[in-house]
Amino acid sequence: MQKKLLLSLFAFSSLMANSETDALKEQLQLQQETTQKLLSQVEMLEAQQQSSANTSASFSQNAYLPDIAMILNISALSRDVKNSEYENYAIAGFIESGDAEIPFNAKRSFNLNYAEFAIHSVVDPYFEAFAYLHMHPSELEIDEAFVTTTSLPAGFRIKAGKFKSAFGRLNEKHQHSWSFDEQALIYKSLFGPDAISDAGVQLQWVAPTDTYIMAGVETLQGSNERSFGDEDPNLFVGYLKSSIDIGDNLSILGGVSAAHGQTEKKQSSNVYGVDLTLREQLGSYSSLVWQSEYLQREKDVDTSTDSQGGLYTQLVYQFNKNHSVGIRYDRITKNETDLSAYAGVDTDNLERYTGMLEYKPFPMSRLRLNYSHDRSKIINGTRQDINTVMITLNIAAGAHGAHSY
Amino acid sequence: MKKIVLITLVVTTALFASLRVDTTYSTLGAITKRVGGDLVNVTVLGSSKYDPHFIVPKPSLLSKLRRADLLIMNGGGIELGWLPPLIQNAHNRNIQNGAKGLLDISHFIPMIDKPSTVSRAFGDVHAEGNPHYTTDPHLVPIIAKAIAEKLMQLDSENADIYQKNLDAFTQKWQEYLKGYDAGLRSCRGKKVVQYHELYNYFLKRYGVESIGNIEPLPGIAPSSKHTLALLMKMKKDGVKTILQDIYHEKKTAKFIAAKTDAQVVVVPHDVGAVKGSETLEKFYNTIAEKICQ
Ligand SMILES: [Zn+2]
Repeated sequence: MQKKLLLSLFAFSSLMANSETDALKEQLQLQQETTQKLLSQVEMLEAQQQSSANTSASFSQNAYLPDIAMILNISALSRDVKNSEYENYAIAGFIESGDAEIPFNAKRSFNLNYAEFAIHSVVDPYFEAFAYLHMHPSELEIDEAFVTTTSLPAGFRIKAGKFKSAFGRLNEKHQHSWSFDEQALIYKSLFGPDAISDAGVQLQWVAPTDTYIMAGVETLQGSNERSFGDEDPNLFVGYLKSSIDIGDNLSILGGVSAAHGQTEKKQSSNVYGVDLTLREQLGSYSSLVWQSEYLQREKDVDTSTDSQGGLYTQLVYQFNKNHSVGIRYDRITKNETDLSAYAGVDTDNLERYTGMLEYKPFPMSRLRLNYSHDRSKIINGTRQDINTVMITLNIAAGAHGAHSY
Repeated sequence: MKKIVLITLVVTTALFASLRVDTTYSTLGAITKRVGGDLVNVTVLGSSKYDPHFIVPKPSLLSKLRRADLLIMNGGGIELGWLPPLIQNAHNRNIQNGAKGLLDISHFIPMIDKPSTVSRAFGDVHAEGNPHYTTDPHLVPIIAKAIAEKLMQLDSENADIYQKNLDAFTQKWQEYLKGYDAGLRSCRGKKVVQYHELYNYFLKRYGVESIGNIEPLPGIAPSSKHTLALLMKMKKDGVKTILQDIYHEKKTAKFIAAKTDAQVVVVPHDVGAVKGSETLEKFYNTIAEKICQ
């Protein structure tokens, strides 16, 4: 510290010596000499200090500790359907009764959704490593664990390990960075709570253009049973994303994605997606974000092809540093599949309305009130509207990296 | 490896006849333009309209970082909330942590206000010390030198031009500072309050005393309890100037001003933040004018 100060002083005076009169030069010369004397004194003192430290201590690696953060997500919930009935909900054509995985906010009253450990570290000049360990009350899950390259030329980056695919706009996002506590209906219906999250390899390329253009391909195990589920590694994902700014404050991000895989019966299953996000920055702490996405699946079943799709569209208004409010509309827009199991049950107009109000006293903590009116589910063999109100608390303690856009 | 870097460097310089330099903030950008001249193509990532701690990591910033030969950052933790994911997703090996094309200026600055203990219980503290050093015009030559040396390292062919630019700029700046410092002598001993500790380097340099902040803790919104305490202190100490940045709410400052007969002055935190602060000289002139009027 002291040394730095002196050094900058030194740098400063040597700069000044270039200019001005000889008298000034002489003065500075003197000053420099004094500085040099002081510097050598400091060095001596430092050397003395060092020698007084324990010279037998070695191998400390504390400076290389990775960044570690703990994320905790808990909720208090009220729902007008009993827990035992809710657990067995069905979404006609997508999720059969008893088949829904509900890792978050499953029960009325209190839920400890998860404690997550997020670990990040630079491995060496060529790799960075990330791991997200999800701890539910009764299980430990490796949500993601992967390495990325940092030294490939020409705008390429490779990611390898278990990771969330960058398919679409939402797939890659962790639960705690969603704008609403419940998963978008079409993601839930097509992929389940973890979305496309698999072991595999990803190659992404950013174009050297003024406009942001990113293309990526992934080859994955394909273990997602909702849409794929073949035992051989055979899921291929590709996407193209681009963004432009209009003026200083409006930015538009759009993407197209495709996933090609096989079902357990070795039949083809393809999912396509388009997404669009418009963000208007109103100030340092206020913005209006409109985000929409449409996903469609073409899945071969025996001799026919199921064609199913849905969308969500959401608007989130952050009105100051601490508060935001948002609404979302979810809808299944296409459901061409065998619905004979639901004879006599209304399977049209599967939709959900969600609203939320968020309070962030600090960037690391968030309280959110989330209300949904869900018209997409079948409970006990009959269509039933479900109302859910929950208050969730999410905290991120420790060295938590910033979220990407 | 080194050869490849050299080749890409040669190719890019041949194509664009200049070094692509991104800076996180506008003051760093302005200094880079002065020492780089026509040889550099400077892009500022964080607009001076916004809170420098909370720049939105828009995808368009990725395309700016993608082709940068050099990224000059402020450092001291101020970019922690927005820059790391951009660097991760821009896929540019020149500017990775530890690479030659990443320059963190805070390493050249004698940082002040370094906390002895760090906990988020004290708010969003800057663990490495106050990073808002660009408000002190006396640090400009140090920054210019650090940037010039980096440019010389990356573009050694033009090293003597950078050296010439640096010498000319430094000489001009020392001239400028003589007049500047003389004008600020009357300001010594003045007492002010500020919203966030944005101007400490300037205040310390010119002997202006900051007796408190409008935010109770760094990054925490004002509370009535804290505001009242600040009010009392201002009355007791006879503080008549409230330094307000452009991006925080101004209600609290106006409320305090009305109760204490103080004046709220909007001070730029970066080049171009307010009208009439578009060049380095105008930026520092505006700071001086606002704080010491
Ligand atoms: Zn700050």
